[in-house]
Amino acid sequence: MPKARRKPEALDGQHFEVVVVGAGMAGLASALRLAMFGKSVLLLEKHYVVGGLNSFFARGGRKFDVGLHAVTNFPPKGSGKASPLIRLCRQLRIPFEELALSPQSFSRIAFPDVDLKFDNEFGFFISEVERLFPREQDRFQKLLRTMEAFDAYSPEVAGDVSARSILGEHLQEPLLIEILLCPTCYYGSAVENDIDFASFVMLFDAIFRQGLARPLDGIRRFLNPILKRYEELGGKRRMNLGVKHFVTKNDIVERIELDNGEIIFADHVISTCGVVETERMLSSASQDENADDVSRISILESIAVFKKQPADFGWEETIVFYNDADVFRYERPDELTDPRSGVICIPNNYRYPNGEQMAEGQLRVTCLANYEKWVALDENSYRSQKEICRKAMLEVALGYLPNGNSMAKELEERTELLDIFSPRTIKKFTGHLDGALYGSPRKSRNGSTRFGNLYLAGADQGYVGIVGAMLGGVAVANNRILRGD
Amino acid sequence: MDKEKVKQIVLDIIAEIAPDEDLTDVKPEIRLRDQLDLDSMDFLDIVMELRKKHGIEVPEAEYRQLESLDSSAEYLFPKFEAKAVA
Ligand SMILES: Cc1cc2nc3c(=O)[nH]c(=O)nc-3n(C[C@H](O)[C@H](O)[C@H](O)COP(=O)(O)OP(=O)(O)OC[C@H]3O[C@@H](n4cnc5c(N)ncnc54)[C@H](O)[C@@H]3O)c2cc1C
Repeated sequence: MPKARRKPEALDGQHFEVVVVGAGMAGLASALRLAMFGKSVLLLEKHYVVGGLNSFFARGGRKFDVGLHAVTNFPPKGSGKASPLIRLCRQLRIPFEELALSPQSFSRIAFPDVDLKFDNEFGFFISEVERLFPREQDRFQKLLRTMEAFDAYSPEVAGDVSARSILGEHLQEPLLIEILLCPTCYYGSAVENDIDFASFVMLFDAIFRQGLARPLDGIRRFLNPILKRYEELGGKRRMNLGVKHFVTKNDIVERIELDNGEIIFADHVISTCGVVETERMLSSASQDENADDVSRISILESIAVFKKQPADFGWEETIVFYNDADVFRYERPDELTDPRSGVICIPNNYRYPNGEQMAEGQLRVTCLANYEKWVALDENSYRSQKEICRKAMLEVALGYLPNGNSMAKELEERTELLDIFSPRTIKKFTGHLDGALYGSPRKSRNGSTRFGNLYLAGADQGYVGIVGAMLGGVAVANNRILRGD
Repeated sequence: MDKEKVKQIVLDIIAEIAPDEDLTDVKPEIRLRDQLDLDSMDFLDIVMELRKKHGIEVPEAEYRQLESLDSSAEYLFPKFEAKAVA
């Protein structure tokens, strides 16, 4: 016999069937999914805006996206449900068209002697690999087949297989291995100088086999329909209110203590704050528990807004992953930042419909950064170092854009606004320890913890990026709460 | 309530969860999975909607009874009947 179902009305404002902690991509997706089926859900967010690592902010009268470079997994025409993004839209009952995604122009991976272009046609990417590495042709095809046969989304997948070693088994030219690791690590590796093979396959497909896209008005376009639906369904949301402690008893979370001292109860708890962050919220935890599981990967990102379209500087590309040596370094730098490698994003260069365009030019540059060094700075040096590092990053990055260096002066003159965010900003706004970007190296794919009613969702399931985090949130809601309910 | 109505209820649910699928020509005897782009996540949605809209419970072990429209009708019809009597 099915269990008697408790109606939400019977809950008194302090007791919910599900409490979802964190209104980032994973939290929003799981909360919506649960509300769709009549669960009483409370979504708690420490910050005053939703989105988490993919939030937005206003500065100088302009609206900016925090994280968004590209929405990955843009489905090739007619790809149907095989595409994770289409699957996600279906699960959230949000028409794909509502996301108003526009595809990229083209992007590049730039190493000292190699400049590989790709766009949203997978065949073009393959032809570029074959043009630059003709001797790898057969081996590369074999690698593609290995990846096709691998179910990266499986809840049972091993999260600790080194992509570097699998690439090494398939390919002979070290440079090609580095070139494949560069974009995949930047878009989702929590470990240094490698990425687990499941995440590699997911990201390779997300970036190359499917493709990159962006809505003209940025991440809000993504967040708004989700919030709207969630609220229409009666889902509850409290902002500016974080969880302080999970109080546990007999292997379950018995109650939740909030930052303002309030106590609430939940049959199920989904935490999207990260595995180590969540453990530290447990009443019994010590504060330096599992410090080894905190990722060493964090970033500095600078945004320049200027009065000119990037294409008028001759810059037509959307994303450039660059590295100044034949070996790709993806590690916490010894200095504040390491400008020698990074990612450029030019959001103007998506193909917006009807020739629409962002009013001003934007250039975003992201490099790896050292969290400890950034937090050790006093306020004055923090401010001045941000500017010094921004300049150093920009100088190198411009070298990877056509005639970039000779445009530097004009770019500076036309710049209207600069913004920069550091590992400190990430920690402050998302609570991720050490300003970590892609969660902990320790992943829990099925979201389980040692507490029967506490599940993890999002980056620390090993589902990376915007689409990944949301699919992870949906999977936890489905498999842990809705199924077998 | 008859079995044809049950099939229509299931089709209506599929139309809602998969608005991009063409349902005009669904063959009742063929597995839904073989003619439509549905996966296990979608079958979970069918089950959840049956509960939400019609108060019908399908235990996880019996999800596969919903394989085709015919098998769904066979399996769900008595449940709808029992509901109508209650
Ligand atoms: C600069 C940058 C650029 C990126 N670019 C892209 C990109 O272009 N494309 C892409 O696909 N991905 C990108 N990503 C990655 C992507 O943003 C993440 O993978 C994804 O957003 C993770 O979502 P999440 O829900 O798992 O975690 P988060 O976004 O971190 O959400 C966790 C939420 O929990 C809240 N929280 C934490 N502690 C508490 C507490 N105690 N109580 C209540 N709430 C709490 C936080 O405030 C936050 O809102 C980027 C990330 C960054 C930082």
